[in-house]
Amino acid sequence: MSFVARRGNTLVLAICVLIALPVVTRNAVWTDSAALLGIYALLALSVGLSYGQAGILTLSQAAFASLGAYAAAICTVRWGWPPLADLPVALLLPALIAFPVARLVARLSPLATALSTLAIGSIIAIAIRSADDFTGGYMGIAGVPSIGFVKAPASYAWLIWAMVVIVVFLYENLCHSAYGRALNVLRFDQARAAADGVNPPMLVSAAFAISSSIAGVSGWLYAHYISFVSPESLDAHLSISALLMAVVGGAEFILGPILGTLLLDGLTRLLPAAELQGVYYGIALIVILLVARRGIFGLIEGGLAQVRQLRRSRSGEVTALEIEASRP
Amino acid sequence: MSGGLVAKGMEVSFGGVRALRGVDIVVSPGAVMGLIGRNGSGKSTLFNCITGFVRPSGGRVSVDGKDITGMRPHQVVAKGVGRTFQTPRLEARTSVLTAVTCGLYASVRSSLVGALFGSPWAMREERLLRERAEAEMERLGLANLRHVEVGKLSLGLLRLVEVARCLVSGARFVMLDEPAAGLTSVEKDKLAAEVRAVAARGLGVLLVEHNIDMVRQLCRSVAVLETGNVLCQGTPDEVLRNDDVIRSYLGALGDIEDAAGGWQ
Amino acid sequence: MIHFVEYVLRGALAGAIYALLAAPMSLLFATARTIDFAVGAYALIAAAVAATIGGIAGAEAGLAAAMLSAAIMSLIFVGLKRLGCEDGIVFALASFGLSAVIESFVLWYWGARSFIVSYVAASWSLGGIRLDQQGLFNLLIAAIVVVILHVVVRHSSLGRMMRASAVNAVGATLAAIPVEGLQMGVYLAGGLLAGLAGLLVLYSAGIDFTAPLGLTLSGFGAAIVFGVGSPLRCLFGGIAMGVAQALASGYLSEALSAMTPFLFILLVLSMRPADTEALAGGRP
Ligand SMILES: Nc1ncnc2c1ncn2[C@@H]1O[C@H](COP(=O)(O)OP(=O)(O)OP(=O)(O)O)[C@@H](O)[C@H]1O
Ligand SMILES: [Mg+2]
Repeated sequence: MSFVARRGNTLVLAICVLIALPVVTRNAVWTDSAALLGIYALLALSVGLSYGQAGILTLSQAAFASLGAYAAAICTVRWGWPPLADLPVALLLPALIAFPVARLVARLSPLATALSTLAIGSIIAIAIRSADDFTGGYMGIAGVPSIGFVKAPASYAWLIWAMVVIVVFLYENLCHSAYGRALNVLRFDQARAAADGVNPPMLVSAAFAISSSIAGVSGWLYAHYISFVSPESLDAHLSISALLMAVVGGAEFILGPILGTLLLDGLTRLLPAAELQGVYYGIALIVILLVARRGIFGLIEGGLAQVRQLRRSRSGEVTALEIEASRP
Repeated sequence: MSGGLVAKGMEVSFGGVRALRGVDIVVSPGAVMGLIGRNGSGKSTLFNCITGFVRPSGGRVSVDGKDITGMRPHQVVAKGVGRTFQTPRLEARTSVLTAVTCGLYASVRSSLVGALFGSPWAMREERLLRERAEAEMERLGLANLRHVEVGKLSLGLLRLVEVARCLVSGARFVMLDEPAAGLTSVEKDKLAAEVRAVAARGLGVLLVEHNIDMVRQLCRSVAVLETGNVLCQGTPDEVLRNDDVIRSYLGALGDIEDAAGGWQ
Repeated sequence: MIHFVEYVLRGALAGAIYALLAAPMSLLFATARTIDFAVGAYALIAAAVAATIGGIAGAEAGLAAAMLSAAIMSLIFVGLKRLGCEDGIVFALASFGLSAVIESFVLWYWGARSFIVSYVAASWSLGGIRLDQQGLFNLLIAAIVVVILHVVVRHSSLGRMMRASAVNAVGATLAAIPVEGLQMGVYLAGGLLAGLAGLLVLYSAGIDFTAPLGLTLSGFGAAIVFGVGSPLRCLFGGIAMGVAQALASGYLSEALSAMTPFLFILLVLSMRPADTEALAGGRP
């Protein structure tokens, strides 16, 4: 496989960003939307990695994001660290919590794992809310400085989307590696993966830890961009929204979560009332589960496969059935 | 205990069912050991408890003298013991090439972080894995199915993909659970040739097979299981002459062939 | 000491409501191998409707609203099944969608207010310990419901069919047991019980649109503490969790008390032995 073929998703995304962002950043409102969308896209990508690849239905991504956000706020505001020095903390802290928890429960059924992500997310949220001296409790922390050279909203939009492209690049590398293949196998069949030599709970937990780090980065960007964090900024509803975004776009496809984010968030702006967002997201999820369980990308892929099959049979290429039929 | 894959006194019970009652088996490097027995006699259970999928209630397993009893499946693979499943376990949408490449997981050396960042080292290894998988598929006659989704294959070819996935792993001992069921005679010959070649390379093979001709062709030694006990062991011809075996196993052969026919 | 007894008793009363949420979850898990994440939302809609209409008619309308929501969920379940989905996690995901819809609808229609109605404000004093009558009433209702469920599951032909389809759905279908109908029935029963729980919460502590997730999780905690199995275990699980929560809030901190259900879940799950059967794999 050539370099380009193995980086298809990254290239497509990078080109889209390079075309769209210069246009979008001409308008202040759009710029702000683009920056926030990028943050949500990162969160949805983290769901894609954990649910779409490792099979962990995760409901704690917003909690991991808030860990990243609070890491940024506390390091820079309380301890006066220079910006960027807090990035490693925002990356590692969620992973250090996600890994052991996943390690404990990943050997159980996927339902049990989903439950425990919900539990760990709630515990993190409560802990943040009640550690008043440290996190500012319900008031949150204001005055988070911007990241050094990045100050204007437009630069943030660029930085955030650059981060999305980098994450997609890493994600795509993972998918094309032995580890990515192993994750796909064990999502369907742990026994089969174990017979290949995979340690299922270990690999699943590692994937979950990476996904929580991605969520941490999105929180880090959020804190520096908005310059304020509170328990309400990244609450449990965002976890659910991120999950819906990933599933609607196609959780197992690399770009699926990003497409889902753009679609759901874009259409939310057409809604009559903000309170109705949940109605709209929920119905979208149920409809997509009923008509296209693998999301919009799944629909597209199914369509492409049919076209390819048609073309093959036209061009007289052998199909699997013919090979079977011609077996000696 | 010396070289080879040695299982001694294996005992397994599922609730009240005693599936294995003290089974001894030795697979030596470079030899094909046959394992036959009627349905439900415990062949697959023996596979499962050697490879760590089922916890034995008694007995010890060792590889080249090193004890592997009670290890988890992936640790057993790391010790160089590979296996296939009797019912192929494959996700319908993966391509044959990908499925076979998955078998190489145990030999991957680059780390998860390396893979994540796409280091040149990891990329080169990835190319090598692909080449090894392609070579194995070539030998088993699967090469032109490379891009076919496994969901479109017949059960026989699926088993062959399973075999390729196991052989490619670089294991020193491979355990094949009824690999030839559902194959055409040409494919069976290809499989037999590959099993022989694999043994000639010094691998030990444990072969469960209902097809007596194939067992006779390939195996130097055969063990017969009967309700969790080893009924007898010896060269294929000795075993097939044994009265107990004829009574226990060959008596049921007609049904088995029927059953095998019904699967396809 | 008197404090301790008081915490335990109060916790037990509060935990009774969890049992009402837990019982249908364990039944659903047994018959359909899935989880309905929307039970908390059923409780919310029941409480909201009941509070708006008021009186007995309100309570009835609330229960009807909860059952209607559960009926929608059961239709989604059947729809997914008909479309060839066997994955319990997908059903659970769909129930999340429904939960989001209900919550958001309540927020839009009623606003962010909290619903509370108190009919029985009186309380009994028992050796210096104050026990409110509503709490005792809740416990009584939960106990009655759980015992009825227990009898149905253990000793009726309906229960036998349920147990059969839990062990082997395919076999049960072949034995002419209407597995799908049973599963839909269990979803509906979940709606009824969750609605009842919602009413009891409405009459005791009150409820607002953010409550469903917490209620659902508390229900889970109660359902799994003593192992998913019988409704009776759910009652004890609910009481145990209520007591733990009350003790944590009395002696440790409010934060820990709020975390209790989640800690319960993590603790129970991390101590469960791995599913070895799943690894061994079936026979052809
Ligand atoms: N996971 C399990 N749980 C309960 N019983 C089992 C399990 N696996 C196997 N058994 C029982 O153990 C016995 C041996 O089964 P096993 O699969 O090892 O037979 P086999 O020799 O492989 O048969 P076949 O030729 O049909 O593949 C049978 O009685 C079977 O019912
Ligand atoms: Mg077998």
